[in-house]
Amino acid sequence: MLTLQVVLSGILLGGLYACMAMGFSLIWGVTNLINLAHGSMIVVGAYITWLLVTHTGVDPFLTVPVSAAALFLIGYPIQRFLLNRAMRTTLFMTLILTFGLDMVLINVNLALFTADVRSITVPYADLALRFGEIRLPYTRLAVFAIALGLTLALHLFLAHTRTGQAIRATGQNARAASVLGIDTRAVYATAFGIGAALAGAAGSLVAVLYSFSPVVGDGFTMKAFVVVVLGGLGSIRGAIVAGILLGVVENLVSGLLVPGYRDAVSFVLLVLILVLRPRGIFGNRYLADARI
Amino acid sequence: MPGSDSASGSRSGTSGRGVRWALLALGALVLAAGPAFLGNYWLRVLSNVYMYAVLAQGINIMAGYTGYPAFGNVVFFGIGGYATGILMVKLQAPFVAGLVTGMLACPLLVLLLGPALLRLKGHYFAIATLGLNEAIREFVANASPLTGGGMGLSLPLPPGGAAANAASFYYLFLGAMLVSTWLTWEFSRRNLGLACRAIRDNEGKAEATGIHTTRSKTAAWMLSATMTGMVGSINAYWLAYIDPPSVFDMTIAVKSFVIFLLGGAGTVLGPVVGAVFVECLATLTWSKLLNWHLGAMGLLIMVVVMLLPSGFAAAARNAPSLARIVAHVRRRG
Repeated sequence: MLTLQVVLSGILLGGLYACMAMGFSLIWGVTNLINLAHGSMIVVGAYITWLLVTHTGVDPFLTVPVSAAALFLIGYPIQRFLLNRAMRTTLFMTLILTFGLDMVLINVNLALFTADVRSITVPYADLALRFGEIRLPYTRLAVFAIALGLTLALHLFLAHTRTGQAIRATGQNARAASVLGIDTRAVYATAFGIGAALAGAAGSLVAVLYSFSPVVGDGFTMKAFVVVVLGGLGSIRGAIVAGILLGVVENLVSGLLVPGYRDAVSFVLLVLILVLRPRGIFGNRYLADARI
Repeated sequence: MPGSDSASGSRSGTSGRGVRWALLALGALVLAAGPAFLGNYWLRVLSNVYMYAVLAQGINIMAGYTGYPAFGNVVFFGIGGYATGILMVKLQAPFVAGLVTGMLACPLLVLLLGPALLRLKGHYFAIATLGLNEAIREFVANASPLTGGGMGLSLPLPPGGAAANAASFYYLFLGAMLVSTWLTWEFSRRNLGLACRAIRDNEGKAEATGIHTTRSKTAAWMLSATMTGMVGSINAYWLAYIDPPSVFDMTIAVKSFVIFLLGGAGTVLGPVVGAVFVECLATLTWSKLLNWHLGAMGLLIMVVVMLLPSGFAAAARNAPSLARIVAHVRRRG
């Protein structure tokens, strides 16, 4: 019974991981940038929710669109005026650049919100759906539903809108896209903005479930990376399945075997997959291989 | 143009090489005389410079020569430190034993994990090494009986007074820098270095010409890890206290990456030049920016990437050198 509870909690957690990974995967797939500041962007989203909830008393789930919009407004100019200039340099440079961005964001968060650990308590935190001994808190169910909803919305946006199609075209072949009249630099900025918006939304969801501080972002970046490697770059279905897999394995290991090793699990899973299935669980090619 | 040839100094004959060795020997003598006329503060600053030069040299071997961005190489800095610390605290071993253990533990880990991780390229490899660092840090933080866990580990203090210690650590770090630079130079001209450069330029073709790519990459990473572990070990003894966040610190990794990039990827002396520049700048400015040093460092990194995307070495190659100006004037005259 305990195992079933742990597995179900893991699945619910996996939805959040998928949401974190989708923004990361979109930015990576389209601009070929590994956004090492992704975790810190999630933390910024969490602080926006915390600010709104503590000052206005609004329900944290209502702040998800606010965080998303705010992060879009931060992300778009960052790509447009900063990262676009470094698109032609080497891989090392772009990694260093986004890490520099990460350090600036952490420092800004520290200066604005101090290093104290913050958390949000909602009045319905203790209510839960019960099946016999199994207990699923409503907050976690809501987080799962919103995370999946956002992921689905991203899929529909990319598949059915003109902007979405331009983003996909640029991701597949930027040169061909620009020949067809797509302003690839604007598309990069839009894609980065949307990725950042998803990070912000994920941050609001993190704030509901966990306590956080300015320095917890790196762990989120790592999880997003593992999910993308496992699920395949740019694959939305892959991100959901891999997110849930990571959530379940993490919960099983830290809940039943050895507590305290939550982050090491993602790394071990990564190495295992690399050794056993070097092309990811779905056998996708690593798209970025061709473009390093 | 004979003028520019002797300026770059690489293709000149035996006399040029003799001059170069004489200059290097002179430089080493000046550095060795440091403790005679420098105060403890500047000895500490220079020790830091040498330490970062070694860290950057480790990244140079992997990222500069082999083309694998070992972003999380700082993991070996931590492992070296903890190997030394555990040996000295739990077994009361002398520092030398700790140093040797640290320098052996790091390549051993690479031998175990390298062949799997080196299947990855580019971004994937970079983040996987970052994950390795996170995982080992978590392991060290949880293995309290051995490592002291989150409480950290206090090493025995080195014997002798503050002044004598400042000088001896200065020499230790200086030696580490000279050894690692010499190793990089040897590496760059031997078969292993050539194989790694071939892998960097085109791994598929390198494999097709009969280079055992996995073996070469793993060997290069082992060399890089040994250097990093060496200074990690000296650093732990120097600070006399280590805890997981301070030695498995990605900021150290990124700083050494910036130094490596500034100095020029794939050059033997680049990391040394970059370390002098970045560390001196850090010491001079960031002591005044206590609460903002992280952000200032981040901004500096971003400015550097924007302005000098190929590093000092490339900028120097294109800059008007004295010899080139003379040659230019002569041609005109």
